[in-house]
Amino acid sequence: MAAAMVLLPGENIPTERLPKPKKGKLTLGPGLQHTPPSTISATTAGSLQVDHRKAALWLEDAGGRYQPSVGDLVIAQIHHSSVETYSCALTPHTSFAILGQLAFEGVSKKTRPQLKAADIVYARVSKASKWEDVEIECFNSATGKAEGMGQLKGGMVFDVRPAFARRLMMGTDKEGVSKGGVVLLEEVGGKVKFEVAVGRNGKVWVDSGSVRETVMIGQLLRGADEGGWDVEGQRKAVKKALRDV
Amino acid sequence: MPHATRPSTNESAFVLSALRENLRLDSRAIDQYRPISLKFSSDPDVYGQTDVRMGKTRVICNVSCEVITPYSDRKFDGVFNINCELSPLIGAGVEIGRPDQAELLLSRLLEKSIRRSNALDTESLCIIAGQKCFHVRADLHVLDHDGSILDACCLALVAALQHFRRPDYEVHGEQVTVFDVREREPVKLTLQHQPFCVTTSYYDAGTIMVQDATLLEEQCREGEIVVSMNRHGEVCQIAKYGGVPVDALSVLSVVKQSWEKVKMMDSVVREALSKDERERDKGGRMKAELSAENERVMERPVG
Repeated sequence: MAAAMVLLPGENIPTERLPKPKKGKLTLGPGLQHTPPSTISATTAGSLQVDHRKAALWLEDAGGRYQPSVGDLVIAQIHHSSVETYSCALTPHTSFAILGQLAFEGVSKKTRPQLKAADIVYARVSKASKWEDVEIECFNSATGKAEGMGQLKGGMVFDVRPAFARRLMMGTDKEGVSKGGVVLLEEVGGKVKFEVAVGRNGKVWVDSGSVRETVMIGQLLRGADEGGWDVEGQRKAVKKALRDV
Repeated sequence: MPHATRPSTNESAFVLSALRENLRLDSRAIDQYRPISLKFSSDPDVYGQTDVRMGKTRVICNVSCEVITPYSDRKFDGVFNINCELSPLIGAGVEIGRPDQAELLLSRLLEKSIRRSNALDTESLCIIAGQKCFHVRADLHVLDHDGSILDACCLALVAALQHFRRPDYEVHGEQVTVFDVREREPVKLTLQHQPFCVTTSYYDAGTIMVQDATLLEEQCREGEIVVSMNRHGEVCQIAKYGGVPVDALSVLSVVKQSWEKVKMMDSVVREALSKDERERDKGGRMKAELSAENERVMERPVG
């Protein structure tokens, strides 16, 4: 594999980097723009990722800003409630996202959850566009099930970079190797019992039995995020932390 | 639209329960400061610029001076101003030109700690009484806010004042010649003492006292006590603006704890200053040049 290529906004992708599509179609992911007839240029700064099998290209953005897109799982904080909606903050200092008061599993007007300001919920982005308010919901509107979403009680929320949160959520491929290169939570989960919810907006909610364990997990997350540990480094750090607890 | 972020109920409850078990989120001790990094300008001609980091909190200070006419009611004193403005760099909800309460308290505490305590001897800034004096100006900029900005600002300011050099001058009757940096070596300011601020945040009606709180810990606290003192144990001021009532004995123990922290901060500043002096004076040539000792020839005493 060639070395990772970092692109700045406005730079064009050299043709030798483009994958050969079987059906003649190339899929462009976030951060890339096509100017006909055959120029593909970067719109943000990031490293170029190519998937030859799917004939797809995109830019991995290591920036700190989260931009909501439909289908993302996020941890939202309620700011205030109005007649039929809650106004929630996904990221600080941006406009609020709207959460319908009835957007939970199996609720009616009489049995809905009473959320207060500063409560947090695990939700899914249902609508995200540049010109409208972002909308989120706490249940899958297609199936009507909560699927783990809803109010998060107790525990602690840790801030990480959105790119790190994305790696945490990538999951594992067929051989069991973590796709995002983050094995922290699995390693810790071998010894410590805890619940975790990862928000794509750069928030990780952790609830373990004891305060000490939650603090340890938070520190490991921060270390991996800011220190950029690779898989080996993460395993070593987890072993060391588990010894101290 | 920009709104200040408040921590969620889960976060504040967790921080409090962790503190009750004597745990902090970054595994520090309850009264432990984050590692303090103090840097001066790398430019050899620039004095009085400091960059202080306490964890993620970052403050820079710039001290400069010019020659002006002193105030008519203070003929024998120079002028010393501290300017500290918070900007939206540290978070939305902060606007330049519209100071909120936190910013007003920050300015007031810096004034009380440094100006009113006469840390900088303004009489030494006078050139010709009633006609010419130095106006020393300190500008503080907070670049990142993760708690303890007052402590960091005070440290940056005191270090910058100790580092700064004003131009040398000569007075002949009514004539004043202020020499440029290239003509004559600039002169250090006269500091009578070096005060530092220690902020103690408390929880559970004063039963838990925490030093160097991060932003999250500050947002969950019930109140704070700010003690300014120098390394000799001389207290410049104690401030407790509102907050949950605390009994007097706790305040006294806070002052005692603060003294230890002030000694620590003072040693950080001294070490950084001496390291910077050694680097600017490579080879020890300046010391040899500025020394007024003659070479003495040792002869055997007669008789």
